[in-house]
Amino acid sequence: MAQGAVAADTQYDYDIVKKFAIMALVWGVLGMTAGTYIASELAFPFLNFDIAQITFGRLRPGHTTMVIFGFGGNALFATSYYVVQRTCQARLWGSGLANFTFWGWQAALVIGVLGYMNGITDGKEYAEFPWYVDILITLVWVAYFVVYVQTLRRRSQPHIYVANWFYLAFILATAILHIFRNLAVPVGLFHPESYSLYAGVQDAMVQWWYGHNAVGFFLTAAFLGMMYYFVPKQAGRPIYSYRLSIIHFWALSFMYMWVGGHHLHWTALPDWTSSLAAAFSILLLMPSWGGMINGIMTLSGAWEKLRTDPIMLFLITALSFYGMSTFEGPMMSLKSVNALSHYTDWTVGHVHSGALGWVAMITFGSFYHLIPRLWETRLWSTRLVYVHFWLATIGIVLYIAAMWVSGIGQGLMLRAFDDYGNLAYTFIESVQFMHWPLVVRALGGAFFVSGILLMCFNVYMTVRTAKQEQAALEGKIAAKVAQAGA
Amino acid sequence: MKLNHESIEINAGLMIVLIMLAISIGGLVEVVPLYYIEDTVEKVDGVRPYTPLEQRGRDIFIREGCYTCHSQMVRPFRDEDMRYGHYSLAAESQYDHPFQWGSKRTGPDLARVGGKYSNAWHVKHLVNPRSVVPESIMPNYPWLLKTELDYSDIAARMRALKAVGVPYSETDEEYQANVEKFGKEIAEMLDINNAEKNLVKQAEAGNYDKDPSRVTEMDALVAYLQVLGTMVDFSKYDEGYFAEFR
Amino acid sequence: MFEWLSHMENTKPLALVIFFVTFVGILLYVFSGRKRAERLESYKNIPFLDDEEGASDRAGKVADKDQDNG
Repeated sequence: MAQGAVAADTQYDYDIVKKFAIMALVWGVLGMTAGTYIASELAFPFLNFDIAQITFGRLRPGHTTMVIFGFGGNALFATSYYVVQRTCQARLWGSGLANFTFWGWQAALVIGVLGYMNGITDGKEYAEFPWYVDILITLVWVAYFVVYVQTLRRRSQPHIYVANWFYLAFILATAILHIFRNLAVPVGLFHPESYSLYAGVQDAMVQWWYGHNAVGFFLTAAFLGMMYYFVPKQAGRPIYSYRLSIIHFWALSFMYMWVGGHHLHWTALPDWTSSLAAAFSILLLMPSWGGMINGIMTLSGAWEKLRTDPIMLFLITALSFYGMSTFEGPMMSLKSVNALSHYTDWTVGHVHSGALGWVAMITFGSFYHLIPRLWETRLWSTRLVYVHFWLATIGIVLYIAAMWVSGIGQGLMLRAFDDYGNLAYTFIESVQFMHWPLVVRALGGAFFVSGILLMCFNVYMTVRTAKQEQAALEGKIAAKVAQAGA
Repeated sequence: MKLNHESIEINAGLMIVLIMLAISIGGLVEVVPLYYIEDTVEKVDGVRPYTPLEQRGRDIFIREGCYTCHSQMVRPFRDEDMRYGHYSLAAESQYDHPFQWGSKRTGPDLARVGGKYSNAWHVKHLVNPRSVVPESIMPNYPWLLKTELDYSDIAARMRALKAVGVPYSETDEEYQANVEKFGKEIAEMLDINNAEKNLVKQAEAGNYDKDPSRVTEMDALVAYLQVLGTMVDFSKYDEGYFAEFR
Repeated sequence: MFEWLSHMENTKPLALVIFFVTFVGILLYVFSGRKRAERLESYKNIPFLDDEEGASDRAGKVADKDQDNG
């Protein structure tokens, strides 16, 4: 192979991958810290300090935006630009345009989050960006699509590797979702606020079509793309079944778009819509588990890697959490369960078992694989990866368990009647009950944050060592050249 | 070119088209009919667009992220009926851009909070929730009482809302249509030409924050909270009527 | 037949049949034929093609097809 002779960093564009990877960690720390802070505000309300900018209602959109679009988004940009180059054995197309996606994306995040804190928001969950940021994001996304597809077209062989299918579906679906959810009429050309094109029940359906597919395509399909590349690479073995991955892909892409309505059970949305959504939610269990099994079975015959390789531990645990939350999700979409679980912390716990357990863990694992290869060195400390793994796992378990207690507990209290048929508890009694679970939840968050901080330190030391090694090497070469010259 | 899966695997353009097809069907099937099926939104009397002051209150509700902890959607369960009141109708949020049904109840549902508490209670509660509900975990919102309401852009806001379908009136013709639909008193409040005047008038008449000298953000927010869920007179309908639309 | 299709309420079973047939079609396509199976499974080695070490022996396994990279 001709490319074998060329060093990887000149054959591929690694600079853009490095930039996105570092920003993913920066936004991850900021977003998760904000999350832990707002969790603490719920446990100890004095932490709002009467400062408008940091009250729960304004900081919570900041938290979700920073972790989903900041941490998740930057991680997806980084890994997709890396995977598409490595599986096509082609250099990234259009480095100027790729740089625009980087700066445009960071700008959107900064303007968005500072805006929410100062009261500028669309008030649509996970789509709070004001209209001018929506336009910026659209431009970035078009550039992303062009860079990605043009790089695909440079590939060295006819077949497109399946990881790229998932990334492609994510780019396309996110474009559709983003545009249709954000159709709105601005109050004025120089006014930050706008009013949604849709109203009431239609707006609700568009919202959860968007909201659930943000989960389905942004936080699932794209991270599956990550999984289909990094799990085989780290294991040193190809994916368990390529044919299963094809079925997985088409079934997942088709079915996810149907399930958003299950967020609107028992509301003023017509029954047929949410029932149809629930039916598809249950069907979705099959492709989800197919994908999970495909990932985990890749390790079949090499299970001992779980004992020796902490990066593998991250990746496989991520897949296990993926399996768990894709089981919990369909269960919560059943109308009878939803009647209890909806509007409670159970939903919050479910989201986080997916977001922390699947999205964050698969990202951590992939990054531990990716970072040393980008800087052509070895990880500074493998032991710290183990410590990170345990901090993250303990954090998630505390978080989910606390939310089960608080969510199911509140759900049961609110529907309890006394012997005379009156309500057994007032709402505020259920709030009082939730105090300790909320404290434990915040503690779980703190564990998770300390884990990612440790990772940042490890990455910093890795990069620093790599730079020192390179400087030393260059020094040696320079000395030799000088000697030869003399 | 032969059309089989292999040509999809090797042709990025074809793959893009097929992915678009696969991901579009679900959304189309579930969203589009909601606009065409007449039963989606019930026919009831009383639901009207928000007055200028109420709409500004709604903007503040969204600005402060109240929807992150409070839903506005009562579900048809016995406990919710006893706690909050009649279950919510689609018609009741037909002028809500965006909807505020919410997704989480860290605090109680607000769909029918209007009229349940006095204005004075709301002001006290918003400034310091723990002064009236000691166990509350809601943040304090003291700045609402201190900040004067900016209503200079109210006409522009109403025009934007009109553009997305809310029947605010600008021409005489539109005004007459509103008189017919909502009655003269309400039609006047929905007139964009008198928006500022109407806003100040309602704030002074309501005197929500007990400070008649100026219009604060508190005035607007309390005016909004007090109208929530009060527009439909449920005693006029029997239970079976709404079940038809579910 | 065409009359049946023209009734609005028949779209649901029709859609179900179309989706199900498509799904079964994909399943049959993917899991039938030994040669196709070998070809599809060979693609799983693509991520290892650019490994500096041991790339050449794995690379040979990927079906070599000179088709247009459209």
